[in-house]
Parts: sequence; C-alpha cells; structure tokens
Amino acid sequence: MEEEKYISDKFGRRNPFTVPEGYFEQLTAQVMNQLPERRPKARRVWMRPVWWAAAAVCALFVSTAAWLVIPNESKPSQGQVAEVIQQSQPDDAYFDAAADYVMLDNQEIYACLSDY
Amino acid sequence: MLLNPETQRQGFEAAVRQYGEQLYWQVRKIVLTHDDADDVVQNTFLKAWNALDNFGGDSKVLTWLSRIAINEALDLLRKNKRRLTVSDEEPSVASSLLADPYFDGTETEALLQEAIAQLPDVQRTVFQLRYFEELKYSDISQRLGTSEGALKASYHIAVKKISEFFKLRD
Repeated sequence: MEEEKYISDKFGRRNPFTVPEGYFEQLTAQVMNQLPERRPKARRVWMRPVWWAAAAVCALFVSTAAWLVIPNESKPSQGQVAEVIQQSQPDDAYFDAAADYVMLDNQEIYACLSDY
Repeated sequence: MLLNPETQRQGFEAAVRQYGEQLYWQVRKIVLTHDDADDVVQNTFLKAWNALDNFGGDSKVLTWLSRIAINEALDLLRKNKRRLTVSDEEPSVASSLLADPYFDGTETEALLQEAIAQLPDVQRTVFQLRYFEELKYSDISQRLGTSEGALKASYHIAVKKISEFFKLRD
C-alpha cells in the first residue's frame, strides 16, 4: 500500500513514548496492592439432566401406582354400567299400559270411575 | 491457576507481571499520556480481577485483558472529549506531547500522533495496533470484537487520512 509506505518512510515505527524510571518494576506490586479479597463464589444449586430424568420417571411411577391402587368412587364398575344400560332400555309392558291409557275415551273413563 | 480459587491470586499476579507492560504500551498509544495510561492499566486489572469468574479460559488471557484495556482506553478518550467540549481551548496534541517529559519523539513524530488523534476511535485504535504493535488482523479482531474485513477497511481509511494530513502540510 503506497500510503502506508509513505508513512513508514517518513516516520518509521519507533515508539516515542517513555515511562518514569522503575515504573514497570513497581507496576505488579501496585496493581496487586489495590486488588480486594475475592469473595468465594456463591454455590449454585442445580441438578444434572440425568437427575431431572430420574425425578420425572419416579413421579410418573408414583402417579400411575396411585391411580391403580387407590379406589376411585367416580369410576363406575362394569356391573353398575350394565345396570344403567338395562334401566335405560324401554319396557314393552309399560309402553302398552301407557298406550291403553292414552287411548281411553270419556265413556271408558266414566265406566272406570263408576267401578270405584 | 486463574480458575482455581486456591491459586487465583498467585495466577493473577503472574498475569500482571507477564502482560502488564505489553498492555501498558497498547493503552499508552491510544491515550498518549503516561498518567492516563497508568489509570487505564490499573482499572483494567481491577476489572479483570472482579470479573475473573467470567473468564472461562476459552480465550487467551492476554486477549481477554487486552479487550478490557482497549475498552477502558476508549472510554477514557470519550470522557476526555466530553470534558474538552465544555472547557477552554486546549493546546494541540503535538505541542502537548512535546511538552510532556515522557515523550521522547521529534516534532514530526508528535505531528504523527496528532494526525492519529484526529481519527475516529476505532480507526485510531486499529492504526495503533496494526502499525506500531504490528498485530495481525485476526488478533485485533478478537480484541475489538470486529470482523477482519471491517478492520482492514478501517486501517486503509486511517492510513489514507494520515498521509493526506501530511501531504497537505508538505
């Protein structure tokens, strides 16, 4: 680079700065004297990933065991389910009686009442 | 040694002894006066000591210290610039250097420092580290946290400005 050569030819690369006598001999002691004592670094509580995985497996195992072992009132048994299904099925006799009752005319009602 | 709490102080002392002078010269060429350079070096080591836990050992100790020192030096320049804007007119850099007992250069060398001092901070720092310290761009890049391409561009602009400064005077 032409400009760089111009500068180096004109000025060279000499260091024109100086320091007080003995400065570098005292520098280390000066720096070390002003340093405070270091406080021990606060220990961080943390878990390694393997411990997190182990904890997750344990939690899963305990919750599964609890779900299987502890009786659950809200969970219907198979017998209860069958009963509910049976109760909900229409009864033919009931339908017949209801149909008969609905089809009564006034004459028949009076006849029924006069029997009592 | 620096990472072990038992030997940190000894390790740090060894680092100060080994790199103190090198850091001083880097800083001195940026801030120019001995008193400012001494302040910056002391602050650099104090900051490094307090931030020792952040030094993971993945970079070289010198690179880490140098980065702190350059940042401190540039901070000082910015503070000085703010101070100058509110104070009376200051004497030129060259005349201040020629009156400085710790400047052993000629008038031409003092003028070179004046030309460098007129550059923006990054160009000034890159020029000092490249021209006088003869550091590689990769080293400067680690210390300044800037890409090598940007540093090369800054250096070329700095060289051009300095040569124009003298060509206008010749």
